[in-house]
Amino acid sequence: MTRRQAADRRRALACLAPTVLALGALTVYPGVWVLWLSLQHRIPIFDVSRFAGLDNYAFLGVDSRFWNAAHTTAVFTLGSVALEVVLGVMAALAIHAQRRGRRLALSLLLLAWAMPAVVGAKLFEWLYHPTAGLINVTLGRHSANWLGDPGLALPAVILADVWRTMPFVAILCYARLLAVPAEVYEAAQVDGAGRLATLTRITLPLLGRILLLAALFRTLDALRAFDIMFVLTGGGPAGTTETLTVYAYRALFQTLQLGFGSALSVVVFLLVMAVAWAYLKILRTGTVAA
Amino acid sequence: MRSRRQHLPLRSALAVWLLVLGGCAGGQPERGPVTLVFKYARILGNADPLPALLRSFEAKHPGVRVKGEALPWTSDDQHQFYVINLEGRSPGFDVMMLDCIWVPEFARAGWLTDLTPYLSPDELAPYFASTVAAAKYGGRVWALPWNFNVGLLYYRTDLLAKYGLRPPETYEELVDQVRRIRAGERDPALDGYLWQGKQYEGLVVNVLEALWANGARLLAEDGAVFPDRERAADALRFLRGLIETGVSPAWTTAADEELSRRAFGDGHAIFLRNWPYALDLFEGKDSAVRGKVAFAPLPGRARGERGVGSTGGAHLGVSRGSRHPELALALARHLTTEPAQRAIALGAALSPTRQALYQDPELARDRPTMPRLLALALAGRPRPVTPYYLLVSATVQPEFSAALVGVKSPERAIADAGTRLRYFLEALR
Repeated sequence: MTRRQAADRRRALACLAPTVLALGALTVYPGVWVLWLSLQHRIPIFDVSRFAGLDNYAFLGVDSRFWNAAHTTAVFTLGSVALEVVLGVMAALAIHAQRRGRRLALSLLLLAWAMPAVVGAKLFEWLYHPTAGLINVTLGRHSANWLGDPGLALPAVILADVWRTMPFVAILCYARLLAVPAEVYEAAQVDGAGRLATLTRITLPLLGRILLLAALFRTLDALRAFDIMFVLTGGGPAGTTETLTVYAYRALFQTLQLGFGSALSVVVFLLVMAVAWAYLKILRTGTVAA
Repeated sequence: MRSRRQHLPLRSALAVWLLVLGGCAGGQPERGPVTLVFKYARILGNADPLPALLRSFEAKHPGVRVKGEALPWTSDDQHQFYVINLEGRSPGFDVMMLDCIWVPEFARAGWLTDLTPYLSPDELAPYFASTVAAAKYGGRVWALPWNFNVGLLYYRTDLLAKYGLRPPETYEELVDQVRRIRAGERDPALDGYLWQGKQYEGLVVNVLEALWANGARLLAEDGAVFPDRERAADALRFLRGLIETGVSPAWTTAADEELSRRAFGDGHAIFLRNWPYALDLFEGKDSAVRGKVAFAPLPGRARGERGVGSTGGAHLGVSRGSRHPELALALARHLTTEPAQRAIALGAALSPTRQALYQDPELARDRPTMPRLLALALAGRPRPVTPYYLLVSATVQPEFSAALVGVKSPERAIADAGTRLRYFLEALR
């Protein structure tokens, strides 16, 4: 290494130091601390603090509320992301095909996404109101118990989430569609491809990579979903809308069981990391052409 | 020359860090006249009586200023606010309004000043016994009861009179009356009995009342969980039955206080379980049920005990971090005196914790139902008084809800709640 290289190296390290320090202080240190907490029975306000080994994790293994929350999280994530991607692509294609009023359509779409999650949830709380809500009033005699029926509550929550976040997918797709040169479609037309063939052979493959990216963001968000069910149902009825993060909130902030709550958070963390890793692997191997 | 330039980035990075750290340094301590900070949730009603009460305290204590600071809106947020600020040991407030279910928890955590040595022996005698019980932990007194709540059965006087019925004393009677009235009215929009079955604290209150009526408990004195399992399961089965048979609407499983209060207030139900605050709203100028509502004690069970309403309400505690504990206690005392509680009862829809006020002529003129509320208030029973109440409540909520919506049998729900509670309570030993 020349002297110059050595100097560059030192300079680079000095410039990186604040970032490394900040990441260390704000991410690594609390992360390790949570891991350590999860191995304890710890409730500081009651002076409970003792090592528990893997007790908390062992209890999670047999805790039906935990497995129920894990199941709810999985269903919520799969359901909401799938719907968001399908509806998002449809919305993007519809706007792309529109001759007039594209801006208006885009602004209307963004309105939902720009709304804070809690406001969106409150809005749906009124829509789902059992006796005075718009939906049930419209349905009249066929009205349903949206947030109080164990079979309907989770779909109702998913629907509210899809309404708010589908525009995110739609906007990303729309931007990608704008970047597709017109010649591609002209060539397809010359080759005699019909509308369906153009969609399945050209448009969708072109959207593949951006859709994967959108799905990655949405999946990571959905796995950590909290606000929408917290406002709409508080996790009920029968815990059918209680996700892992809602359970973790109840343990950590409501009942102050830092040890047990940390164990829950570690599980959520591992889950999110695993899913992110899987997505990144697919993105990197480039199996989806862009 | 060269070596100096090499260190330049390092130095500038350091300088940035020092600046950042410097910005975090604390401000100057306050000086001057004593300021007491009072944390409370804004009181709804025709006129907020608190500002005037705080001013009258200042008039009595020259040199003392009282700052009333609003708490977040929901009970959960208030609790979280207190926990964060009190665990951080820099409370910045002196007198705090507490939901009565938090008093033992905060006392156990060491956040409240022990008021026992300051109180004269019979100072708490004028208060309802259930509110005093909720203010105690470990045989010491930690807070002063401030306002009071008790579960009531509201009923439609016009409908009951039309069918020659008296308010039901047992749930079995209530079910029968609902059937008769609905058969006669033939109004599909008329529901029978409304209560709170959403998965939240209110559900625990409603289930506790059902347990008590059936002679069951959630916690025994020795800390045992669900000491009378069969009776507890039977109480849950009865509640589920109310929904299954249509005596209570299906949406009961999503109902909180306001949802059920509005439906009853719109004239769409015969019976409602709720708190005393609702009466003022039913008697309001543009209420659909004005003059057609009365309340009775909650029903009991045919072969069980008499019905008892769960009590609730707020207490005033003094923060242990307060720099002026005696002044703070003086403020808490000032706000809980008879005149102060009368002013609060007149200005807001909150009931007093002092028994004498229920027979106070001035109050009775404004709120004629006060004397009748007294018997119900005296019979009221507090939720389990334990420092772990929130833990217990959050743990049983989804299980009670599961039994109500029918995804679990009552026995299974009780067993699952018990297993989880025992693990958490064991960790606390």
